[in-house]
Amino acid sequence: MTALAGVFTGGIVQTVLLGAALLGAISGMLGAFALLRRQSLIGDALAHAALPGICLGFLIAGGRELGSILAGAFFTGTLAALVMMLIIRSTRLKTDAALGIVLSVFFAVGVVLLTHLQGQGGAASVGLNSFLFGQAAAILRSDLWIMGGVGLVTLALVAGLWKEFKLVSFDPDFARASGLPVTALEGLLTIMVALAIVIGLQLVGVVLMVALLIAPAAAARQWTASLGAMVALSALIGAASGAGGALISAFGRGLATGPVVVLLATGAVVVSLLLAPGRGLVWQAWAARRARARIGDGRVLLTLHALARAHDDPRYKTEHGMLHAALGVTPSAQHLARLEQRGLIRAVSHPPETTPHWELTSAGYREAALLAGRSETDAEEQGA
Amino acid sequence: MQNDALHEPDQALHVEDLTVTYGDVPALWDIDLDVPPGVMCAIVGPNGSGKSTLLKAALGLVRPVAGHVRFLGRVASQMRGRIGYVPQRQSVDWDFPTTARDVVEMGLYHRLGWLRRPGRRERARAIDALAEVGMQDYASRQISQLSGGQQQRVFIARALVQDAPILILDEPMAGVDATTEDVIMTLLKRQRDAGKTVIVVHHDLTTLRRNFDWMVILNRRIIAQGPVDQVYTVDNLRAAYGRQLAVIAASGTAGSPP
Repeated sequence: MTALAGVFTGGIVQTVLLGAALLGAISGMLGAFALLRRQSLIGDALAHAALPGICLGFLIAGGRELGSILAGAFFTGTLAALVMMLIIRSTRLKTDAALGIVLSVFFAVGVVLLTHLQGQGGAASVGLNSFLFGQAAAILRSDLWIMGGVGLVTLALVAGLWKEFKLVSFDPDFARASGLPVTALEGLLTIMVALAIVIGLQLVGVVLMVALLIAPAAAARQWTASLGAMVALSALIGAASGAGGALISAFGRGLATGPVVVLLATGAVVVSLLLAPGRGLVWQAWAARRARARIGDGRVLLTLHALARAHDDPRYKTEHGMLHAALGVTPSAQHLARLEQRGLIRAVSHPPETTPHWELTSAGYREAALLAGRSETDAEEQGA
Repeated sequence: MQNDALHEPDQALHVEDLTVTYGDVPALWDIDLDVPPGVMCAIVGPNGSGKSTLLKAALGLVRPVAGHVRFLGRVASQMRGRIGYVPQRQSVDWDFPTTARDVVEMGLYHRLGWLRRPGRRERARAIDALAEVGMQDYASRQISQLSGGQQQRVFIARALVQDAPILILDEPMAGVDATTEDVIMTLLKRQRDAGKTVIVVHHDLTTLRRNFDWMVILNRRIIAQGPVDQVYTVDNLRAAYGRQLAVIAASGTAGSPP
């Protein structure tokens, strides 16, 4: 119990917990827009391209000074985004190729710089490694103020420019035609993403940061059909993953916070892809199964109805073998059982024959007539 | 910067010396074009003739290398929502999490200005616009659940809600069935009869004379422009479509007196 209390009162764990939750909320919020604008991977390029900036910041400051390191990261990150847009606009390369090139060039320069700095020795440069995969313990209480500030700015911007961001994300051409400064708004969104990435570098690192941007948004999209709910839910999933990851790594020894946070967020994606109502795979498979069953039931019912009409007898007892012949396949026991359970057909005997027979109940006859009528009008509508 | 004085204010759309290139490939070459107010104008031409590019350049979505464009004497950026633009339906992601009514309300955003959210009045106007295109029952439907024709009508409602004097539609009949096409045409003619200028990039030459009163034939250059009964001739169409015209002439009635 004292250990648990220590988690919530103790300095470092509390700081990491708060920081991770804040970061998750911010990147969840911005990630929702990035995802809808099909720009999730720009976040990846931005994050990887932050590495040379981290090293440059270290070089210029002459030590591991956070301010200049993050400024460097922000600088090369946004530079990479600009270079990418320039490549897309002025060459025939498509987005994916431009992204691959920019990401790997900037990251390679970063790794070269990093290994060079470490080769020169000096105790401080060793810590730069932690920006690759993040080191939660390095977060200071004062960093929380920066995170909180960025969080507030993000929240204010998203709330204040809600309808503009929505329109720019959905239909930038229409936005431009109706007089919105689309380039400025898109730039603002990209800069906010860059900021979120920069403040996440300490915790999650350049390699995995993109997951915190995409995963909460992708998970949230599965559960809701309104932009407001999606952004809120995405922020919530991000915050929960951050807090959860911080707690798990606080209790489990030797578990790095950043990757655990990313695993939790991507876990939420897997669960959402499978289970979300309407869009989830399991839900869809279940719905398809039900639809198949309903169609099968309908076919059996319609066949019985057709045979009854052919004999001018609503109570016509159809022999099982006849049903098979008319249907073209063996009527499955499931269909028959389900129809019987719904009170639409009943099993009867028809002496002197000893084989099983089926008869429509009056409810079944009405249902079948309705079904037949409906499919006829459907056909007419489609023909028109 | 832009001159404040109006240039050719008597034309709904005035294009002069407009040239647009993609890389070094010319998409539009030295276009001079005037569309008077109050007409329903079709822009036709074979694939790749620059129809959509013309609209995008006119609206300022594509930067021309030369020339200028005016709507009622003003550049597009000064029209501030007084142009109802209907982009191609495929240009957006219809899986976007929003409703039909919400999309229509987007047509009112420019009027609300910064920081203000759409409220009850905007909602009512959006519903009215949906009713105009026969989609009032789908107001709160997810846009991903709408059929192609329904999505197109939502897009048109978004332009109608602006109550703009000029409507510009990029291939509104692409991928919609004949019934929806009739609905849309009737709707557009009603706008024209209310005094608005309707400019449509159109594909189907066979229905053109029935529905439009003005036309522009384009194939990177202007082939012909003017009232449909003067411009819709075999010579003009052949100049634009070349070999393909045999098919068109067989299916339509090109050249015969109206």
